[in-house]
Order: sequence, then structure tokens, then C-alpha cells
Amino acid sequence: MTTPVRFAYADTAASRTDGTRLAYLPITLSHGTHVLAVAGLLDTGSTVNVLPYPLGLQLGFVWEQQPTQVHLTGSLARLPARGVIVSGQVESFPPVELVFAWTQVTDVPMILGQVNFFMEFDVCFFRSQAAFEVNPKGQAH
Amino acid sequence: MLARADKLRLMQFLVVDLAQEEGIPLLSGDAEYPIWTPLHAFDAADTLLQMLQTHQGEP
Repeated sequence: MTTPVRFAYADTAASRTDGTRLAYLPITLSHGTHVLAVAGLLDTGSTVNVLPYPLGLQLGFVWEQQPTQVHLTGSLARLPARGVIVSGQVESFPPVELVFAWTQVTDVPMILGQVNFFMEFDVCFFRSQAAFEVNPKGQAH
Repeated sequence: MLARADKLRLMQFLVVDLAQEEGIPLLSGDAEYPIWTPLHAFDAADTLLQMLQTHQGEP
């Protein structure tokens, strides 16, 4: 059993009202020798994880070498996306493999969605306290 | 006496004008507002899960 780690909601806009705070999770992504400490938006409405184009480049991915085409929806449907797999580590939890839709869109946050972030981690939101807790799957008391 | 349509146009003009003066952004029917969340992207989810399973099945 592991103890859930608690995080505070983060301010996302200059006007720091309660409504502008969102659940951004600090996470370390790695691919080969490339390691990147980023913050991903916990988005329970998102079917998939989404990796913005610049972050994919920083992780050493080459667009032309990714054969798996992914068709996204909404505003992300206007540009192509490719599937990529990285290792993701939250705090001191064991790293897990996360699969992302790597989009050519640049001005999108990194999104952690149902496939497969929420399949790997149990998350409990305490929105009234502007906090959330994360635990690897299968560790709940 | 203004017609009803003109009253509405006048109200709309005043609302937009006041909002601009106060620096309050208003939604515009001509603008696009991105929603990044890929809702119901089930084909993408299936593709990515299959990709992950294939990757994890590799020696």
C-alpha cells in the first residue's frame, strides 16, 4: 500500500480567482535519454492523453518516425496526431508507461486523460479545498 | 419611437461599447473558441490502447 500524494490546484491566469485554478499534476516524462519535468492537466473528460508538439520534440520524438496515426476530436481535430509512448513518474511512485496522442497543435496544455493516465492512477478530487490526491492504481485502502 | 428591431440593435451597440470601454471580453458569434478536451475520441483511445498493448507485448 502507498499513501496518496496531495497536490494543490494551480493558478492558470493572471486574475487569480478561485475559478481559474485547475488540477495540474507535476509529472516527469522520459523517453530514451530525454527527461522532462512538466505539469499535466488532469482532464477526466478527455478520452486520451495529449502531448503538445513542442514537448514531443523535447522528448526526442521525430514526427516522421511515428507511424501510428490518431484522429482526435474537437479543436484538436484540425491538425494530425501520432501515437507515442513515454515513461511517466509522479512523485516517488513507480514509473508507468503512458501513451499519448502527440498533436501538431502547439498552444494546448499537456492533457492527462482516461487512456491511459486514469487507467494507471487513482485520483480523488477535493475541489472545495482546491486540492487532489493521486495514488497508483490498486493501492487504495 | 424606435422600432423593436432598432431598440435591440441599440441595446447591442451599447453593451458592446460599454464592454470595450471596460475591457470586458464578450463572446462573439464570428470568433472561434477552442475546446481542447478531446471528448468522445473513442477511435483514438482504441488506437492508443492497441499501440500500448503491442508495445508491452514486445520482448
